Amino acid sequence: MIASLDRIITIGRATLVEAVRQRVLSVLLIFGLILVGASVFVSTVVTPGLDAAGLFDEQIKFVKDFGCGAMGLIGFAIALLSTAQLIPQELHNRTIYSILAKPVRRGEFLLGKFFGVVLLLALCVTLMSLAFAAALYWQEQQGIAFAHGLYDQQMAGHHTPEEAKAIEAQYQKDIQDIVGKVRDPQLIEAILLIFAKLVMTGAIALLISSFATSSIFTIVTTFMVYLIGHMEGVAREMWLSRGADTTVWQSAMVGLLSMIIPDMNSFTIVDEILAGNRVPWEHTFNLLGYAGVYTIVLLAVSEVIFRFREI
Amino acid sequence: MTKVFLIGKTVAMIKVRVMESSVDTSPLAVQTMGLTKRYPLAWKRKLLVALDHLDLQIRPGEVYGLLGPNGSGKSTTLKLLLGLVLPTEGEAHIFGLPPDSLEARRRVGFLPENPYFYAFLNGDETLRFYGKLCGVTGSKLDKRIEELIELVGLQNGRERPLRSYSKGMLQRIGLAQALIHDPDLLFLDEPTAGVDPLGSSQIRDLILRLKKMGKTVVFSSHLLEQVQEVADRVAIFSLGKKVLEGSLDTLLAGEQGTQIEISSDLTPEQREKVRQSLTQAGVGGDVRFSRPRLSLEQLYLQTVQPKTAAPAQETSRP
Repeated sequence: MIASLDRIITIGRATLVEAVRQRVLSVLLIFGLILVGASVFVSTVVTPGLDAAGLFDEQIKFVKDFGCGAMGLIGFAIALLSTAQLIPQELHNRTIYSILAKPVRRGEFLLGKFFGVVLLLALCVTLMSLAFAAALYWQEQQGIAFAHGLYDQQMAGHHTPEEAKAIEAQYQKDIQDIVGKVRDPQLIEAILLIFAKLVMTGAIALLISSFATSSIFTIVTTFMVYLIGHMEGVAREMWLSRGADTTVWQSAMVGLLSMIIPDMNSFTIVDEILAGNRVPWEHTFNLLGYAGVYTIVLLAVSEVIFRFREI
Repeated sequence: MTKVFLIGKTVAMIKVRVMESSVDTSPLAVQTMGLTKRYPLAWKRKLLVALDHLDLQIRPGEVYGLLGPNGSGKSTTLKLLLGLVLPTEGEAHIFGLPPDSLEARRRVGFLPENPYFYAFLNGDETLRFYGKLCGVTGSKLDKRIEELIELVGLQNGRERPLRSYSKGMLQRIGLAQALIHDPDLLFLDEPTAGVDPLGSSQIRDLILRLKKMGKTVVFSSHLLEQVQEVADRVAIFSLGKKVLEGSLDTLLAGEQGTQIEISSDLTPEQREKVRQSLTQAGVGGDVRFSRPRLSLEQLYLQTVQPKTAAPAQETSRP
C-alpha cells in the first residue's frame, strides 16, 4: 500500500514538474495573475451617480467578481489543457512503455498523473488567491485612506464635543465596514468551491482521455460535458418537477443524465457569496463532498477503461 | 561479490548479484505457448496477425536474439512479454509468473526501441524517477545512480535535460534506467539502432558483461554481426511467425556441401592434382574436411527475403 502510494506520488511529482516547465501553462498562469492584479485598476472606473460608500462597495464587488472569475476561467483552461494531454502525450511520446514496464499498475499510473494535475491546480489556485488577496488589500487601503481623508476634512472645522464624538464614531464604523467587506471569510468558501469544480473538470477530462486517441477530442468532449453539467439543473427542474408535461422517456433521460454528468450549476453558489449573501459552511461542505465523490467515481471508471486499453 | 568493468575509457564498480545457484532450479526466464496477437482492422473487416502462435523457451543466463524485418512481430513479442498488450491467444510466463504481475516486472528491465523519456528531466532526475518507481530509494538509489552513470559513461550528461541528448546518449540513459533495479532479465528492443559504431560496440560489450553477471538478455537487432557476437541462440521472425530458432553453431552450419581447408597455399598445378586426387577418392595427409559455414547475414537473408514482399499478414475475420 505504501509502495503503491510512493509510485503514485513519484508520477504525480513528475507530472507537476513537467507542467511547471512547460511554457504554455506558465504563460497561462502569469496571465491569470495579471488578470487578478489588474482588477484593482479596472475597478476605478467610476459609475455615475454613486456616493463615496456606494462607489467603494461597487469597486470591492468588482475586484471580487473579477478575481474569482479569472481564477475560475484560467483554472478551467489549465485543468482542461493539462489533463487532456496526459494520456495521448504519453502514448505519442512512447514514455508510457518504459513506465508501465516497471512494477507500476496502470491504475497507479493514471492516479499519479491525475494527482500531478491536482497539485498543479492547487499551486495555480494558491498563487492566484495570493494575487487576489493582494488586490483586495490594496483596495482596502484605498478605502481606509479615503475614510481617513473624510474624517480629517470633517474634523477640520470647529465642533462641539458631541459632534466630534459623532464624527469619530462614523469614522470607526466606516473603517469596520471597509475591513468587514474586504476580509470576508466567505471568500475562502468561494475559493474552495472553485478548486473543487476545477478538480472535477480534470476528472472528467481524465475519464475521456482514458479512451480517447487525441487531445482535441478530449478537450471538445470535456467542454461539452461541462456545458451540459451547467444546463442539466435547469432541464431537471423543467422536466422532473411536479406537473411538468413530460414523457417517461424524457424523465428517464434527464434522470440518467443527472446521474452520469455532475451538476456543475450547483457551484454557481459562488456568485451568491460574491454578491455578499451568506452561504453556510454546511452547504459548502456538502458541495465539496459531492465533488469528492464524483471525482472518485470518475477516477474508478477511468481506471477500469485504461486497464483494458491497448497501448 | 564486486567486479570491475571497463567500458570505453570508464571504469565502473558494479555490485553483482550472484545467480549461479538459482540457474538450475529456477523456472525458465521466458516461456510462451501459442502466444498470438491479432489486431482488428475495422475499416477492412479483417484481422492483422502481428504474432502467430509463438512458442519460446529461454533459459536463465541466456542471451537470446530476435531477428526479423520490420513488422515481423519482434516488438509485439516484447510488448506481450512485458504485459503492455494482452494476448489474443496463448500464454506467456516470466520466471513462471504472469508478465503483467508486479512480481514479474520487478525482475525485468526494458529498453524500448527509440527510447523516449521525459525530455524535461536531466539524466540524474530520470534515473531517480525510474528508481523510485521500482522501489529503490534513499542512499541505495544514490549509489545505484552513481554506478550506472559511470557504467554507461554519461558523467558529462547527468545534469543536462534529456531534450539536449544525442541519440546515443538517449540509448545509454535508456540502458541505465533498464538496469536501475538490478533486474534478472533484460528486454532490449533495438539497443544499437541509430548509435555510432563506438557506442554500438560499447552496448555489445555491456550485453556480454550482463551475461557474465548471470543476467538473461533478450534483444532484437538489425545488426547481424553484433547478434552473431553476443547471442547464444537466435530466433528469426517473418510475418509474425518464428520461422527459425537455434544456437548459432547449429544454424550457421550449412546442410549441404563440403568445405575443404588446406593450411598452405597451393599452386594451380597442385590444386589440379588435389582435385584429381579427390576424384579418385585418394586424400592427402594435410587436407582437412569441414562443413561450410554461412554468415548470419546469409542465413537471415535466405530465411526472410522470399517472404518480405507482402507487407503484413492479414486474415479474414472468422
